[in-house]
Amino acid sequence: MLRMLPLELRRLLHSRFTWLIILLTVLSPAAGLILYKPASASTMLSVYLANPSIAGGVVGGILFAILTVYELDRTVRSRTEVLLDAVVSPLEMTFVRMAALAGTAILTLAFVMLAWLPVSRWLIGSVFGGQDYFLAYLLFMGVALPLCILAAASAYQFTGRADLSLVLFAAFAGLSLTVWEGEWQICWLNPSVWALSDDFSNFRIFRSVAYMRLTWLAALTGLWALSRLCVRQYGKSIAGSFIRNARRIARPAIAVLLLVCSCTAYAAQPLVDRSNPDETVMSFMEIPYLEGVLCSGRSAEVFPDTSSGRVKGRAAYQLVNTSGKSQQASFGVVPGYRVSSVQVNGKAADYSLGDYQEYNEALLEVEIPAEENVELTVEYGGFPQENRNMASMQGGMEISSEYLCLENAALAPRLMNIQPDENMYPASIEITLPRSMTVIPFGSGDAEVVETHEDGTATWRYEHSGTGGIVYAGDYIRQDIEAGGITIEFYYGRKHQAVMEEAKAADAVKAVADYCTEHYGELSFGAGDTLKLIQSRVVGGGYATNGASLLDEADFTFSNLNNASKGAAAGEVMIHELVHQWWGLGNMFDSSDPTNPWTAEGLTVYTTYRIAKELYGEEYAREKYVEQWKKETDDYYQNFYVRNPEYLDSLPEDKQLEISNSLSYVRQYCEMPLKIWKAQELLGGEKAMDEILRGLFNRELDPAYPYLTYEEFLDACGLLEEDLNLDENISI
Amino acid sequence: MTKIFQYECKRLLWNKFFFGLMAALLFYGWQTLSNVTIQGISRTAPFSPWSFGDYLSRMLPLIWIGALFFLTFFTSGKAKRTAVLTDAAPVPQRRYSLVRNAAALSGTGILILACTAEAAVFYSMYFGWRRWETLIFPVFLELIPPLVFALGSGWFLGQKQSWMVYVWMPVPLALRALPLPELFSLWTGSFFSEYPLALGAADPDFSVPAELVCVQMFLLISGLAFLAVRSRRQRK
Repeated sequence: MLRMLPLELRRLLHSRFTWLIILLTVLSPAAGLILYKPASASTMLSVYLANPSIAGGVVGGILFAILTVYELDRTVRSRTEVLLDAVVSPLEMTFVRMAALAGTAILTLAFVMLAWLPVSRWLIGSVFGGQDYFLAYLLFMGVALPLCILAAASAYQFTGRADLSLVLFAAFAGLSLTVWEGEWQICWLNPSVWALSDDFSNFRIFRSVAYMRLTWLAALTGLWALSRLCVRQYGKSIAGSFIRNARRIARPAIAVLLLVCSCTAYAAQPLVDRSNPDETVMSFMEIPYLEGVLCSGRSAEVFPDTSSGRVKGRAAYQLVNTSGKSQQASFGVVPGYRVSSVQVNGKAADYSLGDYQEYNEALLEVEIPAEENVELTVEYGGFPQENRNMASMQGGMEISSEYLCLENAALAPRLMNIQPDENMYPASIEITLPRSMTVIPFGSGDAEVVETHEDGTATWRYEHSGTGGIVYAGDYIRQDIEAGGITIEFYYGRKHQAVMEEAKAADAVKAVADYCTEHYGELSFGAGDTLKLIQSRVVGGGYATNGASLLDEADFTFSNLNNASKGAAAGEVMIHELVHQWWGLGNMFDSSDPTNPWTAEGLTVYTTYRIAKELYGEEYAREKYVEQWKKETDDYYQNFYVRNPEYLDSLPEDKQLEISNSLSYVRQYCEMPLKIWKAQELLGGEKAMDEILRGLFNRELDPAYPYLTYEEFLDACGLLEEDLNLDENISI
Repeated sequence: MTKIFQYECKRLLWNKFFFGLMAALLFYGWQTLSNVTIQGISRTAPFSPWSFGDYLSRMLPLIWIGALFFLTFFTSGKAKRTAVLTDAAPVPQRRYSLVRNAAALSGTGILILACTAEAAVFYSMYFGWRRWETLIFPVFLELIPPLVFALGSGWFLGQKQSWMVYVWMPVPLALRALPLPELFSLWTGSFFSEYPLALGAADPDFSVPAELVCVQMFLLISGLAFLAVRSRRQRK
């Protein structure tokens, strides 16, 4: 075989058709700049690296599949099959041809990477990184070529016909490009990559794509090995050839082993959890609090491994059990973590980690004894998995030496059913990371270095209160902004500094805080009048908590700067999350019913629209907000299943969930802001609405039920619920 | 001629290519129906002519490729080598070509029927819906004209150079990727997802602008004309 491979490779490279395929493949990433743009984010790496490399993989893969069928069919076309079979074993030739085609694919990939390196470098600009470039072209494009070669060769070896092989391949590729698009494990040709970060690392999404590619590589290699047994010999049929070729047991055994490996890899994937797809179910929230048990404090020591993306840690909880009986404490643990030991007052305790998962948490249950003072320690660790309901937008749980984000149960087991004492779960968190990283707790506290280690790491500590907690770390710089009577600590990635300065991001942040303070009132924080605004890597959204809001990397990008329709700086996730300090945190909303459209999002989205109007003009705000709400709400009202729920009920449960999940956000994010906008019109304009919202924001709170209700809003407006009903055509 | 037609049909349809193609088509179709069509297109029911039309537009590229592969049975180098023998037969060439085209049309028709039947089964299974007569017009609008055009133009190209049939195969895929004007929205697949919304009513009755019907008619006539042109040449 080794003797024939150079001959076959040389023969292949002497063909003009091969060079045409190579040339077209080298040009194919251009399709990602013009026609095929699967990555929807506006970061430079998404636009100029992810899209071209994925498009290159798709187009190049299809071209190589055609080349494969063309080459495998060559002897049949030229009627030299019998002669060649007499000289070389057809089985051996399958190896030789496959190796030659794979070699050509590798050569082509090298050409592609060389040709597109200067182009990408020029297009991406200062945020270009060699590692991202190499990994993107290797995983998004490079592996697609052998996958397509294997798929096409398998089809040919099974069917023995070029036409049928091409049809089968077309259907297989077509499914990946259309119906399976976004299903991260099965869209084998076009990996589900929605964004690459410019400022921070992208290892999590690269790992996800690599895993999917390896799973399919094993599957298609197995399929190819199986199809190899069907290569026709001695004029026998497919069955006769299979029986003869399978006489050496190693051949089918290897094929079956590879297929089993791929199925196992598919089923046991470690990247995404198995959370309940029905997001209206919140059974963990319904676990009743233990009677006579309080938590007086907790602490955690967390050790992220920035090279492998894993985490290990030890969490301790101080409990006071005055009930006089043993009870079961419940904790939320992020799927992917294993609990290695649980100790109660220094002794090993019984515990169980459940299989059921909900909202990216699994349930850890621990028996606590009937003693008054209980010190409970949990040792945990593993590779944190992301929520399967967001599987098409992976990358958020990035853990590397450039960036880290650990949220709630990913940081330490989250206490679920034990009430706090008067100190509201005081927590001391220690996290050990490379010295180059700055640790930023997402909340009011500040972290400080308490110890440095010889291995180049440092241990940071911060105080916190609550059952969960979020921490960010990375190469951040901080800028302080005085606005609305508070100091905003604005943290963003060092690589993003030029964009932030050019986009005048600090001015935009100041404008938002000033707007909300002027229109609704000042924020008040328990400890110091400071608010953190932290830039995350691109995650497609954000969140806020007392004393901190998130800013998505995609808020301010080079491409936004050059997009005249978005103004100099869009930053709408930043605006939205900053506004949550007023609506959602400054004023709270009852979130116990996930189907209720009246949430903090309604007023927050409405206020975001008002700020966008002030910053970017009426036309922009009307087009991007009001018109969009009308369209989405109209779509929702007119949706067939909303109008005919009996048909939805007749579908299988997984289909019902798929459809209802896709519709649920509209009521909170579009219908309610539109109703508030309608109220504004009925009240006579923005000034009248501002007065009402100011009154609501500064109202006297009922400590027993401090939430702002829809009825209170309607009463303040002097309107009835039916006044704000939107008719079928959303005419206002 | 009936015997020759039967023979050509058997040659075209009784082989592993046809069964493999049918299996691939049905698998692709079921995936499309259960993942895309089930959501309902443009706010309409999954079994509305609009949603069904969208399903057909997604199936079109694969049926197009299949139809052109049928032609390769007659236009390939191998077929041309046997033409020496068939040409010597006492049968008018024009009629023989028509019979072959009729066989290819029959094969394509079976593929269309299979896709339609699959959708009917799907609708019946999931929704208990059986008003199948409403599916006929979308089939005539979305599939028949382009597939007749595929066969006509493919036949014409294949007679010139057999490899040109292969080049012709990815045309509908390329058209879907290109930003074509609205006039070609039945080709790009956007007609069924955009036009019902423009009508501004819930569950609008199925209707098509006259200019789009003209485009489809033009395709149909062009397809037939390609076949006729070739036949006349053969007569000469």
